[in-house]
Amino acid sequence: MQHSRGAPGQPRTVAYLYLAPALLVFGCFMAWPLLRAVWLSLFEWDGLSVGTWVGLGNYVDVLTDPQLRAPFVHSLVLVVFFSALPIVAGMVLAGLMSRARLRGSGFFRTVIFLPQVVAMVVVAIAWRDIYAPEGSINDALSAVGLDGLARAWLGEPSFALMAVGLVGTWVGTGLCMVLFLAGLAKVPRELYESATLDGAGPLRQFLAVGLPALRGELAVAMTLTLVAALRTFDLVYVMTDGGPGRSTRVPSYEVYRWSLEEGKVGYGVTIALLLTAAILLLTIGINRVAEGDRR
Amino acid sequence: MTSTAERAASYLVLGLAAVLALYPMLLILVTALSPDQVGASGGLHVENFGTAWEQGNFGTYVKNSVLVSAAVVLLSAALASLAGYAFGTMQFRGSSVLFYLLLLGLMVPSEAVVIPLYYDLKSLNLTDSYFSLVFPQVAQSLAFGTFWMRAYFRSASREVVEAARVDGAGHGRIFWSILLPMGRPALMTMVLLVFMWTWNEFLLPLVMITDESLRTAPLGLSNFQGQYTSGTALLAAGAVLVALPVVVVFLFTQRHFIRGMVEGAVKG
Amino acid sequence: MIPRLRRTGLLALAATALLVVTACAPGSGGDDAKKEPASDVETDVAGAGDVTLTVWDQEVRSGQDKPLEELNAAFMDTYPNVTIKRVSRSFTDLQKQLRLAITGDDAPDVVQANNARADMGAFVKAGLLRSLEPYAGAYGWEDRFPDTVRSVVSYSEDGQTFGEGNLYGLPLTGELVGVWYNKAKLADLGIEPPQTLADFEAALDQAKQAGEIPIQFGNLDQWPGIHEWGFAQNQFVPRDEIRNLGFGQEGSSWTTDENTAAAEAITGWADKGYFTKGFNGLGYDPSWQAFVKGDGVFLVSGTWLLADLSAGLKDDLGFMLPPVGETGDLAVTGSTGLPFSITEASENPDVAAAYLDFITSEDAMAKISAAGGLPVVDLEAQQPSGTQAEVFDAWSTASSEDALVPYLDWATPDATDVVPTEVQQLLGGDRSVDDFLGALEDDYSSFTGG
Repeated sequence: MQHSRGAPGQPRTVAYLYLAPALLVFGCFMAWPLLRAVWLSLFEWDGLSVGTWVGLGNYVDVLTDPQLRAPFVHSLVLVVFFSALPIVAGMVLAGLMSRARLRGSGFFRTVIFLPQVVAMVVVAIAWRDIYAPEGSINDALSAVGLDGLARAWLGEPSFALMAVGLVGTWVGTGLCMVLFLAGLAKVPRELYESATLDGAGPLRQFLAVGLPALRGELAVAMTLTLVAALRTFDLVYVMTDGGPGRSTRVPSYEVYRWSLEEGKVGYGVTIALLLTAAILLLTIGINRVAEGDRR
Repeated sequence: MTSTAERAASYLVLGLAAVLALYPMLLILVTALSPDQVGASGGLHVENFGTAWEQGNFGTYVKNSVLVSAAVVLLSAALASLAGYAFGTMQFRGSSVLFYLLLLGLMVPSEAVVIPLYYDLKSLNLTDSYFSLVFPQVAQSLAFGTFWMRAYFRSASREVVEAARVDGAGHGRIFWSILLPMGRPALMTMVLLVFMWTWNEFLLPLVMITDESLRTAPLGLSNFQGQYTSGTALLAAGAVLVALPVVVVFLFTQRHFIRGMVEGAVKG
Repeated sequence: MIPRLRRTGLLALAATALLVVTACAPGSGGDDAKKEPASDVETDVAGAGDVTLTVWDQEVRSGQDKPLEELNAAFMDTYPNVTIKRVSRSFTDLQKQLRLAITGDDAPDVVQANNARADMGAFVKAGLLRSLEPYAGAYGWEDRFPDTVRSVVSYSEDGQTFGEGNLYGLPLTGELVGVWYNKAKLADLGIEPPQTLADFEAALDQAKQAGEIPIQFGNLDQWPGIHEWGFAQNQFVPRDEIRNLGFGQEGSSWTTDENTAAAEAITGWADKGYFTKGFNGLGYDPSWQAFVKGDGVFLVSGTWLLADLSAGLKDDLGFMLPPVGETGDLAVTGSTGLPFSITEASENPDVAAAYLDFITSEDAMAKISAAGGLPVVDLEAQQPSGTQAEVFDAWSTASSEDALVPYLDWATPDATDVVPTEVQQLLGGDRSVDDFLGALEDDYSSFTGG
């Protein structure tokens, strides 16, 4: 969507007046705290007494100490579950819905999108039950005779992170599906029909006609889900407290834990800033690639 | 065009996805209606909602969430409309720099600003107040809101604006009496999304609020989880109470919701 | 040259902005001025005018929640000018949010802070808690609480030394981490409550053979694992050694043969399936609820569960001290419940002190006992029956035999983080015994400087 209709409206100084309130609030509660975060990240500070200047020491620590760095590695795992899986699942669902002109597709769209609007705290409480040793997943496994696979999903370091991630898949799939549906709706019917005439099967049709049309939506879906993956906080806070061991400690959780529980504000703020930088780079990168391809 | 077998397979996959999407929510609902104490009689226990409301102090939490959401929604809508109008219909120096600055806010996670905000507001004695919940969230919503309203004002019919100008209407009147009323659908979408984000927000109230009487619904629910130790039904009932407002609003206005999610994002 | 001028202008602007931001190191400005030391202690509450006391506690379990509600009501009845605003949280949530609360704008007057160095110690160091010494004399708390109790709520003024110095809090309850057992199940299995480690392990094995869960255990919340680990350690490590480690005093080590034996024993129990399957993924509350429903022969946990467990299991509930193991001496993890402290930010410390006095009075102890709890003092005055009597007996045995050892997460400023996460990994099989003890040793020795 390019707005190339030229500069809108007339030159007006009164514009600043219209902008002032928004800029004021934005400046005080977004831009200024961000600057302050940079400043705080240069100190070793417990939040109570006077801080000590450490320069870039916190950055060095966070980037070199394996324990401080681990949360960033964990969020890479989450990216697979929050981003890759929902995109694939969303694409399959959107492909099916837009192809077959199914009755009741409005119903499916609503229901599958619903997880997106439920408060994360509620989601976490529901899934904590599902993952419990006596919870639904293990019940289902033993019902089909797979008792051997039943386990304490949130209690084993190798599974807990994936278990948290899978909740992200559950939440994100509807959003991706809805995005792709909107993209596919723009594809002219004739393109599909001519592909059918060429003898392409459903999958080939989708890859040849549908997928190329989805480039923009794909970039959006990636951006939104990546950001959601990197910002996971509520889920971890409610479901695992970062455990078992330290296996589900993720950057956002560490921001809170270091700053407000452990009294190491410098670490917390540094992690927050590195997280911000990662999000900015990814967002800009994804959109660059998407736009570059479009040209 | 599509075979029956293929349709059946499609229904099967979609049906499975729908069941998976609904299952956790239905589980919570069923738990909420089950007997609370071990060994109590079966049947539907609708009274759990009342008990949870009383014991979990949800009356206060929901009231706070309503007040905070209302304030954030009103302020964001007002400020974003004003700013969007300026960006969308006027030319001025620095317009693109300012716009990109605001857009940056779309990408800065609240985690990055919440810690410094907390210490700054604390030194001004402003934590533990509605103020500390409302304004940071307005700032967070402004990026999307301004962006969204700017898109609307840009796309608004130029003929209408020109005609109004010929009739001698000033920028104020054009904004207030012509463009804003026409933009109700766009505004509505924004309001719904901001409402959802604010209602569901967890980190900010967790950090800013320690006073029990100012806690919002998700935060209250999270504390209720640990506080209420001898059963699960009441916790589930509380969870239903917290989730319900947004779910109901979504079900009635899903067109706006989904449109905002899709278009707002794609235009970015 | 205009562009260059512009750039310098921008630089200047940036520099000014930076100067504004950097006006001072964080935490230096503002209201650092210490409040003047409490002048004369005022014990007259009725004359204090209208006062609201905000109290943050974690007494959410029925045995503690009920008496505290009653005591608050009674205090407000006695002093109609005082309103008590009670905020209760789970132990975990209190741990996570207390620091925010007492440094916040609207700090509570009275808080329940864990005795640990990471909590009470850090708060004392930062000047956030008020020394109770001036009030101790006025209210006669030296007589009410024996030395053993006062020492675990005392820190030096700089928060460095634990166990002596000023009094910073008062506990209401006593706590022992012992063995709860299901009498009916033991009878079915035909075993007596085991008194020695050998008998205990035999009983576990027998229970396992019979298809029972030998030890009901839920460790999703991470902190319960400290109690299981302490319980194992009690069998193998001499008491004084545990005390040194637990109080973070120099001269001991985690990497000893005794500690290794303890860690091997508990991992052995986990490997043999003596704990609930998937314990690391099971919440603490669901776990004891399952015990009440009949899942599990033993439950190794604290006396804070007394009222909740009795309500469910009634006469089938038994309690005993840990069996005696390799050391030949009885040792039991236990201490006081979390103490109630007065914050430096409180505007009514005198009223708060009167409140502390009120909730630790003889009458208060009777109320706690009546609600099925274990009061910290005045046990002789109570008439417990059933399992409560067993708990009371255990407490007096532990006291008279000098068998109490501290919680292991008290030791160092990082121990509340390190110990639970390490224990959880040890039991889950993700840490070898050597790595586990090594991690604890690192934390301990870096703190004691050894």
